[in-house]
Amino acid sequence: MEFLYDLPAIGYVFQFIGWLIGVLPIIAPTIVAAAVPIGFGALCGFMNERSGVINIGIEGMMLTAAFVAWWTASLSAQLVPSTAFGPFGMSLPLLIGLAAAIGAAMLVSLVHAWLSITVRADQIISGTIINIFAVGITGYLNLLISQTAPPSAGQFRGLGLPSALTDLPLVGWLIDAFLDQGPIGLGLIIGIVVMQILLFRSRWGLRTRAVGEHPEAAETVGIDVIAMRYRNVIIGGVFAGLAGAYLTIEFGNSFQGEMTNGRGFIALAALIFGRWTPLGLMGASLLFTASEGIQRAVRFGPPEGPLGDFLSAIPTQFYGALPYLITIIVLAGVVGRSIGPAAVGQPYVREKRERRRTTVPAQPAETGAA
Amino acid sequence: MRKHPGVAFMAILAALTLVLAACQSSGPDLGLCRPIGDAKAPETPAPTAAAPGSSDLKIGLVTDVGTLDDRNFNQYSWEGALRGAEIIGAAEPSNIVTTASSDYAANIQSFVDQDYNIIVTVGFALGEATLAAATANPDVHFIGVDQFQAGDDFLAGAGLANYESLIFSEAQAGYLAGIVAASLSKSGEVAAIGGSGTIPPVVNYARGYENGAKSVNPDVKVHIKYISDDLGVAFNDPTTGKSFTDQFRQQNAKVDVIFQVAGKTGNGVLQSVEEGKIYGIGVDVDQWASTPESAECIVTSAEKKLTLAVSDGIAAVGGGSPRAGNVSYSATNDGIGLAPFYQFADLITDDIQSKIDAAFDGMAAGSVDPCKPSGLCYAGTADPGT
Repeated sequence: MEFLYDLPAIGYVFQFIGWLIGVLPIIAPTIVAAAVPIGFGALCGFMNERSGVINIGIEGMMLTAAFVAWWTASLSAQLVPSTAFGPFGMSLPLLIGLAAAIGAAMLVSLVHAWLSITVRADQIISGTIINIFAVGITGYLNLLISQTAPPSAGQFRGLGLPSALTDLPLVGWLIDAFLDQGPIGLGLIIGIVVMQILLFRSRWGLRTRAVGEHPEAAETVGIDVIAMRYRNVIIGGVFAGLAGAYLTIEFGNSFQGEMTNGRGFIALAALIFGRWTPLGLMGASLLFTASEGIQRAVRFGPPEGPLGDFLSAIPTQFYGALPYLITIIVLAGVVGRSIGPAAVGQPYVREKRERRRTTVPAQPAETGAA
Repeated sequence: MRKHPGVAFMAILAALTLVLAACQSSGPDLGLCRPIGDAKAPETPAPTAAAPGSSDLKIGLVTDVGTLDDRNFNQYSWEGALRGAEIIGAAEPSNIVTTASSDYAANIQSFVDQDYNIIVTVGFALGEATLAAATANPDVHFIGVDQFQAGDDFLAGAGLANYESLIFSEAQAGYLAGIVAASLSKSGEVAAIGGSGTIPPVVNYARGYENGAKSVNPDVKVHIKYISDDLGVAFNDPTTGKSFTDQFRQQNAKVDVIFQVAGKTGNGVLQSVEEGKIYGIGVDVDQWASTPESAECIVTSAEKKLTLAVSDGIAAVGGGSPRAGNVSYSATNDGIGLAPFYQFADLITDDIQSKIDAAFDGMAAGSVDPCKPSGLCYAGTADPGT
């Protein structure tokens, strides 16, 4: 193998790959952990956009959920016994916090659904309002309660896999990174697989895709477009709630105003980059956090020789911008095209059929419309 | 027939989870932390009622965004104002808790309008508003906590007789922290994790820390890593702080002491320290008290003595000789130091304590330079770290 490293020019590529193979198993848990809130956020966007609703309020939903999870968990730790039981260091306050976070995000989603489906407000504006409102309300409440802040309720712990599994050759590190997580982190792995199957293999998936691509057609075969959209947007809230709760009761154990710090928007980029499929968006989330992880790995332990000097000389901002650069390239259609659901962003107006009946005599049926 | 592929899948996974949970193993940790037991933060003695009427100065304090009892800048500055009032025998000070950074100027102005004589503003962020108010109201004395006055930038306040800025020698405080770190490290590898290498106090803390550590053990390996140049990420993103430190620990498993210099992002650094069960050192204030989630692992903090600095400033005004310009707090005037060691007190042997005391005295006398070789501390360019 050594001779590959000594090849002119291309040798550096092999050196880089060799270094990556060495370092990736070590940093993989961090990369996966950082991808969890982004993956869940993107899954929230997926539920919305696949059924035809744009949601740029993921950031605000996450922030709200992060605050509610942390606050209700610490508050209930004062009221109910907080002894840990079972796996994950699970305790009653943490479960209450998790449930409250999901509930809060579903509530915000309900508002978004009402504004964008029933009221037919501009969906971008609805999402923007949610983002601005979340920053304000969580910041304000955090100020109010931090006077008497109860101590944190702690956080969910990793599963703690036996070393017989994590020490397996070749795949041990993958098992360690993906499965040795807390309940929310594992929930994402399950959620991604289940949603992927449901989207392409279930009646619900077919209907959701129909509603997102061509709601009029869906309505004509008896699908209640409005109900379908409501349901999916609110289920999306569950995922945003999990993303937020992950930040304050699983990965960390404290809340900080504006702590989501753009992760909701990175989630949107992951959704687009992943071409609106669960597996795709998960891969995109991992790619984004891996680029950050590799940037840090270069700083914490660069490869030796000229390659290390070269990697260290690249400004860290370049690595930081990489995910967005890739997203722009994908959007521009250079690396295969990424086309979203056709009806995304358009409020569905049921009366359309009534109106069309009056105008139909003038023009033939629009069968080819897509 | 309806398909339910998800149900079967989830059932299998649930079963797997139960099996695995039965054979749980705890993650690897260095086990250096200790339960806090019944240790308590030292109570600041409640100021006794001031001798009424001995001074008719009215003292007001404007906090930075946050709360008055934040166990951080606001609280310790407020305690300084209380103590200062007590010293000069003035009435109990008033305070305005700022809720949004857009209100700084208005909050200061409301004290001016009510004819307050001394106005304390807490934090670097209030510098501009304080300078403007000091310029407009030459009869009112302003005390700015952690606000540096430079002649040539936006804080061009040097020259005003009624505006004093309290600045602290971060390099010296970091030096003391470095002595503790190198003395406690079993592996000979310690680290400082800073928010951003472009912010002078952060770089000075880190470089002082490096010198302090090397003064105890010349062979100690000191890692200095900065999280981001994006200040939101650098100082207000605990999630990134934790994930950064997690990865740092994964790649540098020997490091067993980490000094955080990253504000709220640093709370995430301390959470990671807590998970790895290694020693953590806090910054600016006694973080054992301000971040109870991580107190089990916080051996000490590099402290700025805010209470002392503020009460000094008020006392000087009461004594008829108000200070102006940048007023420096360092080892010379007990303006910096280390927080208590709490549950770790027995680890600080007499030998370590004497090294800390010697360094403190040396810095006070000027014989120990936390920034040597000169220029190691902030020199106007971004610090690349080590």
